[in-house]
Amino acid sequence: MAQSSESLPPVRFDDEAWEALAATTNANLCFQCGTCTAACPLADSSPLRVRQLVREAQFGETDAFLWKCMTCAECNASCPRGVDIVGLIRGLRGRQWHTREVPKGLPTLLWGMYSDGNTFHLPPKDRASWLQDVKVPGKGSTLLYVGCAASYDPRAQRIARSVAALLNLAGVDYQVMGNEEVCCGEAARSVGHDALFQDLQQRNTESFRKRGVERVIAISPHSFDALKAGQAANGGPQVVHYTQAIEELLDSGKLGKGSSKGTVTYHDPCYLGRHNGVYESPRRLLELSGLKVVEMGNSRAQALCCGGGGGRMWMETPPAERPGSRRVHEAAGTGAELLATACPYCISVFESERGSEAIPVTDVAELLARRAKA
Amino acid sequence: MVAKDTEGLWVYAERRGSSFTPVSLEILGKAKELSRQLSVELTAVTVGNDGGAAAELRRYGPDHVLELVHPLLTRHDGKAYTKAIGMAIQKAHPSTLLLGATRNGQDLAGRLAVRLRTGLTAHVTSLELDGSGQLVGWVPGFGGGIEAGITCPEKRPQMVTVRPGVFTAPPEGAPAGDVETVKVDLSEEDLGSHRVAFEPKGTSIDLTRADVIVVGGRGTDGNFSRIEELARRLGGEVGATRVATDAGWVDRDRMIGQTGVITRPKLVLVLGVSGAVQFTVGIEGAGTVVAVNRDPQAPIFEHADLGIVGDLGPIVESLLRSLGEA
Amino acid sequence: MHIVVCMKVVPRPEEVKVDLATKMLDRAGARSVINSSDMNALETALAFRDAHGGKVTVLSMGPPPFEPYLRVALAVGADEAILLSDRAFGGADTLATSYTLAAGIRKIGKVDLVLCGEESSDGGTSQVPPSIAEWLNASQATYVERIVAGKHGTVHATRVLEDGKETVELSVPAVISMIVGSNEPRFIDYDRWAFAQSAKVHVWNEKELAGDPQYLGLKGSPTAVAGLREVKKAGRRRETVTVAPDEAAAKIKAEIDRAGLARS
Repeated sequence: MAQSSESLPPVRFDDEAWEALAATTNANLCFQCGTCTAACPLADSSPLRVRQLVREAQFGETDAFLWKCMTCAECNASCPRGVDIVGLIRGLRGRQWHTREVPKGLPTLLWGMYSDGNTFHLPPKDRASWLQDVKVPGKGSTLLYVGCAASYDPRAQRIARSVAALLNLAGVDYQVMGNEEVCCGEAARSVGHDALFQDLQQRNTESFRKRGVERVIAISPHSFDALKAGQAANGGPQVVHYTQAIEELLDSGKLGKGSSKGTVTYHDPCYLGRHNGVYESPRRLLELSGLKVVEMGNSRAQALCCGGGGGRMWMETPPAERPGSRRVHEAAGTGAELLATACPYCISVFESERGSEAIPVTDVAELLARRAKA
Repeated sequence: MVAKDTEGLWVYAERRGSSFTPVSLEILGKAKELSRQLSVELTAVTVGNDGGAAAELRRYGPDHVLELVHPLLTRHDGKAYTKAIGMAIQKAHPSTLLLGATRNGQDLAGRLAVRLRTGLTAHVTSLELDGSGQLVGWVPGFGGGIEAGITCPEKRPQMVTVRPGVFTAPPEGAPAGDVETVKVDLSEEDLGSHRVAFEPKGTSIDLTRADVIVVGGRGTDGNFSRIEELARRLGGEVGATRVATDAGWVDRDRMIGQTGVITRPKLVLVLGVSGAVQFTVGIEGAGTVVAVNRDPQAPIFEHADLGIVGDLGPIVESLLRSLGEA
Repeated sequence: MHIVVCMKVVPRPEEVKVDLATKMLDRAGARSVINSSDMNALETALAFRDAHGGKVTVLSMGPPPFEPYLRVALAVGADEAILLSDRAFGGADTLATSYTLAAGIRKIGKVDLVLCGEESSDGGTSQVPPSIAEWLNASQATYVERIVAGKHGTVHATRVLEDGKETVELSVPAVISMIVGSNEPRFIDYDRWAFAQSAKVHVWNEKELAGDPQYLGLKGSPTAVAGLREVKKAGRRRETVTVAPDEAAAKIKAEIDRAGLARS
């Protein structure tokens, strides 16, 4: 289709911007094969063309679709050259903050994280309300980092109480920060605001140092991923996910095995699985408790994202573009009695996107804690 | 010792269209009671571009009605109204001026208090006389968590703005009291602003300012007509969760929550909603939350003042019956 | 245009307590935030400056601990920050507060627009903006959601009233109060952080302000606090019951009646 050259906008090569992005993300390795586009779970429902995003970035251009990305890292996992595409997307989003071309609602989200220390604009003084009757030892160099979701969302608070119950049962010495706990900044990182992310990570590093923390157990895979990266950069404590910590307790005999019956299918959260390679710990926990794990077709590194990552929890997504219901449907299709996962965002999405599927959704910790009580 | 009362109690009756704001009439009711307790006379003062509105005020009990008129005063103008009322007060020396805390009422009160170099107590939710006959106005602060009793011991007139709905308008009676119409000394320069456009309310939904909201969620199974009826009977607005708007039961601009609308109603009925945090942050500032859900484990109950576990349908029908025909 | 944004630092409302013994406000344990609608006023000012050029100065009256918050405003995009701070300004009601701020604005000089939030979350009187207008003999528009430049030194402001929205034309100098939620305040620009930390925040005391002492602080405040009482419930009542539909409806109706609804 011929167009006169007067009607085409001029192409600007923003070499400086590209070089800056390439320096932090090895994006120069991209040779435009398009495998990433094919791997992207949004390819069916929305025109997010990853390969094209990368190409446009080289011209200093970007696209509204930049914000649809859930940072699930299917692209990273599939890239034959190992390009950190998720990192590039975060970097591209970061540039939009300078020109203030970001989706509505995101500046407000960041203000909440900065001023209230959480993603919900809820009072800092209510952050410890998840505890209810749970007693925490309040000593030792291990800290349970609860995170905003498990602190404030009543559904996710049950996960926090379950993890605490398991740690208590195993006689672990640990502390929690209560009302002094502050957001890990993962949402800022996801939406490309690296400066706020670093600020919040630094606040956490200082809190950890003040409390003599040497090891952090994170409840949300998002906190786990953010703290792992941020604390390593700041010389802070070691960070593990709760499934890893509980697995250690089971292996060392501090927690007993279970004799539950029944089948469960496990959904790998993107930030536990693809981002950090933790696939086996949660499955072992389920098996050691006596359940039979039935796999979905898209499992481990091929797991389908729930759609909550990449800051999408705070942006409106048209129903047709939400992958969550597809995943619940896949889980129900295995015939398993339960869908288990280990992420508060995944649980929130699955419970609201389940449609007519009846399969109950549970967190691994909730399952184990319930069995431990029985 | 209370400063000697001079010439009585005044109430500013704010014009709205061809009548007066409801709060102006409500204040007249309380003011009548106070004026009798203090043995002073009650004057209703009004401002406009023509006389004649006074006739209606004579039915609500003031001893006098004072109309301040000028052809330029076609609409509320803080600067011009301050001049008009300020001059009248400086002539008559009332001890007290009460105004309705409407937006224009407050626009005026703040300016007028400075003109008169006097104390202004804002948004009282109650007005009392203390032991020595001093007026005390109770005002909410800190998001409603604290109430302070404010007095204006010396300066006169003491000015107070009163929230709508705090007092009750007196019943309309036979016209009584005299009317004085004063042409105000005013010129173009006295006007602070000119209106260039006006868009009447009612052309768009504004959940953020609704006092009553009835929210429907998944548990309504799409039966929004009953939700709408309930909202209508209560004089409120319809709100919805993401599930309800996704399903197309209701428009997206009615979606309440972190990525939707944040509301601060006095009362919200949350019907058939599970209560995910992304929704509940949208009703965090509500005065009273009433929730109905079939599931006793539903997280919404942790965000409610009154929670009913039960089937939505029969409860809504019973409630509609008890609210009677609109 | 030179725009001054009046900013107040307020305690988090949910953290303020009343000392029931002394009936005094206990703010000691409360963390602070910049008043919400003041952020909307700041955003309006910055957007106006970005579109039309000019300067944005933030002005606050308060004790020295307010300074870091003024620096946040600088990091967001304000050009200059001034803090009016002196024991003599303390204990001020809205008359004295508005007088002090107006004196600060006069001292700044050549100010075209003064933008304020509609009300502060602590006192919540919404009186200060029109009071400042009167002290300055300036025009005013309160409860504004949007301002647009007009011709020849005028501004068009859209006010949100109970019965609709009115757009008014004002000549500068004008004082305008912005409603909460009228825009989305831009976040901190971390590239400005170094500037914001090292910039001079001008602190003016009573002598430098050169105001009339009879209108300052407690002495200049005609109103007084005669008493305090705590009102708020500690959180949701969480009374959850399982009852038959008719009893449920009766309980709900009781709540409706208790909620004190009224028409304005």
